[in-house]
Amino acid sequence: MDYRRTGSSMERNDGYEELFTIGRGAYGTVYKARDRNTGKIVALKKVLVPLTDDGIPKNTLREISLLKQLDTYEHPNIVRLFDICHGQQKERELIMFLVFEHVDQDLALYIEKNANRGGFSTITIRNMAREILNGVDFLHTNRIVHRDLKPQNLLVTHDGHIKLADFGLAKTYDFEMQLTSVVVTLWYRAPEVLLGLSYATPVDIWSVGCIIAELYKLSALFCGTSEGDQLNKIFKILGKPPRNEWPKENVAVRYESFEVVDPIGISHLIPNLCTTGKDLVLSMLKFDPNKRITALEALNHTYFTEEPINT
Amino acid sequence: MPGWYYDKKEIKNSPSAQDGLDFETEMRYRKEGARFIIDTGSKMDLGYNTTATGVVYFHRFYMFHSFHQFPRYVTACCCLFLAGKIEETPKKCKDIIKTARGLLSDEKFATFGIDPKEEVMTLERILLQTIKFDLQVEHPYSYLIKYAKCLKGDKVKLQKMVQMAWTFVNDSLCTTLALQWEPEIIAVALMYLAGKLSKFEVLDWSGRTPKHLRWWDVFLEDVTMDLLEDICHQVLDLYSTQPTAVPDSPPPKSQANPPTPRKSNGQDKSDDSAANKSIQMTDMTPYQYQTFTTAPPPAYPSVYSAPPIQVAPHLSAPPPHISAPPPTVFPQFVSHPPPFPPVVTGTAPPPTFYPPAAPHHQNQRPFYQPPP
Ligand SMILES: Nc1ncnc2c1ncn2[C@@H]1O[C@H](COP(=O)(O)OP(=O)(O)OP(=O)(O)O)[C@@H](O)[C@H]1O
Ligand SMILES: [Mg+2]
Repeated sequence: MDYRRTGSSMERNDGYEELFTIGRGAYGTVYKARDRNTGKIVALKKVLVPLTDDGIPKNTLREISLLKQLDTYEHPNIVRLFDICHGQQKERELIMFLVFEHVDQDLALYIEKNANRGGFSTITIRNMAREILNGVDFLHTNRIVHRDLKPQNLLVTHDGHIKLADFGLAKTYDFEMQLTSVVVTLWYRAPEVLLGLSYATPVDIWSVGCIIAELYKLSALFCGTSEGDQLNKIFKILGKPPRNEWPKENVAVRYESFEVVDPIGISHLIPNLCTTGKDLVLSMLKFDPNKRITALEALNHTYFTEEPINT
Repeated sequence: MPGWYYDKKEIKNSPSAQDGLDFETEMRYRKEGARFIIDTGSKMDLGYNTTATGVVYFHRFYMFHSFHQFPRYVTACCCLFLAGKIEETPKKCKDIIKTARGLLSDEKFATFGIDPKEEVMTLERILLQTIKFDLQVEHPYSYLIKYAKCLKGDKVKLQKMVQMAWTFVNDSLCTTLALQWEPEIIAVALMYLAGKLSKFEVLDWSGRTPKHLRWWDVFLEDVTMDLLEDICHQVLDLYSTQPTAVPDSPPPKSQANPPTPRKSNGQDKSDDSAANKSIQMTDMTPYQYQTFTTAPPPAYPSVYSAPPIQVAPHLSAPPPHISAPPPTVFPQFVSHPPPFPPVVTGTAPPPTFYPPAAPHHQNQRPFYQPPP
């Protein structure tokens, strides 16, 4: 049938010319590419989708269509999704390409560069924090939990604006598709995730708390090497949560296994953090997810509303 | 979703048209495809949202491809299959094909090729690419319910009006309206039509301000009467088009649908004159009578004392509140046997795509299950 030909020509990904690899994540590779029709530079994310007997799994379809729908809002702090196309089918897998707007760099690189120049101004940090929270609030309003907020997944435009990337495909990724060679960072993980409990939007707030602290500190706040070690690092700095906040069910890790005598405290680690900034960060780093501030509340925190004290 | 609306000129200049298919035939193919999705969906107990989503995919697909290149029943199956996944009512591809097999003639099923499942699965990817993964689609149903809740007046009459509008929305899927207007506008237009036909005049509504002349001013801005009437006529045209025995592939000109008093879908907006299209009760009554009589054979005219509303058995109980979509008490207009047996000439094959002309039973299964 002659439409097969049409089909295959559409499936070849000849609309974009891959220039080079930008990043390799746990689940896919991101390339810098050029749109052959318009000459525009884009970021091409290649994702492997496992195929079932009934084609593309419905979770993948739902996630991708939600991404497309969200994109129609053109939120300023969310990376634009221009197009989706699929490449070849390999056995029981389909290659899909998500075509994003290309953004100059990620926040990890941006922090690194600025660390060499003496760090960010308070105003810059405040603006970045606000933009991150704006993006997170948008996702949460649309019932999306990012789950993996970290500087590598926050993009910074040439004029210093933040755009969230790499979200919305959690169920697509839920398959055993992780590339084992890629180490997944635990540094921004909320305690409930580290403990293997069920989680929701507060996990993202925890991550934002870690990221805002990092914007001041210019290095990560909690640098654990395993789930247990990550919890240990958290408690060493913030102190152990009260006994009654320790989850009752399904926790393999015992409360007693952590020994914290004198918590270091966040002010000691980040002397340049202002009082309201400290209050905001601590309200994001509450052990109990129910006590953590929400994105919308955070945006209305005094940290953002007060007159800037110094620059 | 922006980018999915077309004006009538664009619809007339579709890929099929560019491929040499005449407009009437394309509209018939669209209608048959939509009807087939609805029939397959209801046979499989898929909800009205799933079937409607499938139909919208179908219409969008053929704004990019020609009916000559992609056989419509394969596409229809694929659209329903995909809609099932998106609306969380997934059905196995092989089960959809099995149901389709039961609804189609051998000749039509032959378009599925030697490996029907493979055919549909291959098409899934082309379909996704064509409709650009814009899979979340809204339909007029939810707006219908929302608007109805704001209208004040006689509860029973209102209920009847909403039921009628609901059926019009079902039938509107067989037109290209979903390619032209947002679901909100279609809902308003078809409620307006149902209000006229069921003689329910909306005099008061909640959220009313002195600025509001019509109830829909609460919800929509800048909707002209011309627009609403145009939408109504596109639906009414469905009922005036007599199903004729036409061969499957582009029919010879002589076999094309007879000229209808109304202009068919997709006409240029410029040749709409509100004057000759305005819906008036005087010209409506015979028109709509004809429309509704397409349901039962002419031998049962008494059912249709105006307004042509049949009360289904389960409705004789206290009228339900309009908190959920109303049960379908209307006959399914479009797939019903034609009022008069089509004249089958020696050369023309019998109309296989219409169900056999069985007497119309009151307890006939509504084609959309009322949702819980
Ligand atoms: N739109 C973009 N423009 C420029 N660079 C990008 C873009 N999207 C992603 N990148 C870069 O590629 C890296 C990997 O992208 P992304 O996080 O989307 O992939 P991933 O494989 O899901 O990674 P992860 O391990 O976080 O799951 C990012 O950290 C970022 O540096
Ligand atoms: Mg990433």
